[in-house]
Amino acid sequence: MGLVENGKLPGPLTKLLNISRKYSLWVYQWGLACCAIEMGAAFASPRYDVMRLGVIPFPASPRQADLVVISGTVTDKMAPAVRRLYEQMPEPKYVISMGSCANCGGPYWDSYSVTKGVDQIIPVDVYVPGCPPRPEALLEGIVLLQERIASEDMTDRWNRDPIVVT
Amino acid sequence: MSSPDTNAEEIIEESIEPQEEPIIDEKREAFVASIKQDLGSGFIDSHIDPEIDVWIRVTQEAWLETAKILFEKHGMNFFNFLSAIDWKPSPFGREMDAAIDNVDDEVAVETEMEWGVAGGEKRFQLLARVHNPVANMGVNLKADLEGDFPEVDTWTPVYPGANWHEREVMEMFGISFKNHPNMVNLYLPTEFEGHPLRKDFPLLSRRAKPWPGIVDVELMPGENDDETEESGEET
Repeated sequence: MGLVENGKLPGPLTKLLNISRKYSLWVYQWGLACCAIEMGAAFASPRYDVMRLGVIPFPASPRQADLVVISGTVTDKMAPAVRRLYEQMPEPKYVISMGSCANCGGPYWDSYSVTKGVDQIIPVDVYVPGCPPRPEALLEGIVLLQERIASEDMTDRWNRDPIVVT
Repeated sequence: MSSPDTNAEEIIEESIEPQEEPIIDEKREAFVASIKQDLGSGFIDSHIDPEIDVWIRVTQEAWLETAKILFEKHGMNFFNFLSAIDWKPSPFGREMDAAIDNVDDEVAVETEMEWGVAGGEKRFQLLARVHNPVANMGVNLKADLEGDFPEVDTWTPVYPGANWHEREVMEMFGISFKNHPNMVNLYLPTEFEGHPLRKDFPLLSRRAKPWPGIVDVELMPGENDDETEESGEET
């Protein structure tokens, strides 16, 4: 439309588009360890039913995803793959770091092979604590992210320099 | 009423007594004797747990030949695992433990090497287990390795499954395998420096910030101390 790029997007339109975006989050599941079980419960089971929040948990590739949930232990060997996954996602993109391991290394804080926090590789929007977090905790993380999306200034988000973790 | 009971106890005791003699495991004794004959000077020591298991220690040079004999002659065609042991006592002692864990118990810090069953001489020992699924008998193999960065023949011609196990031993212990088809890291990143399962590999995170100790363990249900019980009554 060009309005976003020009920075001339009217406020009500921004709000409308933000609501549309927050209720159609295509989430890519990146389960690396036991947290993936809880993520599977949150995303795939009718008990928690993440689709009622407008989160669609089945993009076929990260190139179709708006959100990635890094759930589990990121090792130094896996880190380049996580970075590449993030770089493949189209803007605007969001990251939820799920569980102690992805947040800060968790029980593997003194390990020789574990990356102490996925935020060393990619920028993280929401940290969900727990070891592992309950599915409800992940759902709350998603709701927090949706609030963040709803209050986002799209013009700023589109035009600013991308967040890069070096 | 008491006399039948005492009689029964006596009978049980009598029946138990003969079993306390050492059990001679003829199957495993014969197996060890056969291996010893085939390997000659390559055979060093053995240990038999009667009716349970057997350990055999061979020389570094006889490592591959032992595998061939076990596979072809004794039907040990199931490869369980191959790993290694670093018998060196940790040079860090209890330095990296939390202060809270060092207060109560005075555990002696090991300073000299001690080896397990079937003995040992060197710092590094290879450890492998193969199994004969038909006869339902397995054997644990050990071999002392010479030097700080030992080299030993690969088992992959005999047991193809040893491929990944040997790669893991290579990256974790710094033990390389001659004639291995793909001697690169398995789990660790290619540029990783050091061998993490060696005793002298430092955990640098613990250098920067010592392990806090077991300080935040929740009580098991029923192990409540007095305070929680009182508060429970109040509510």
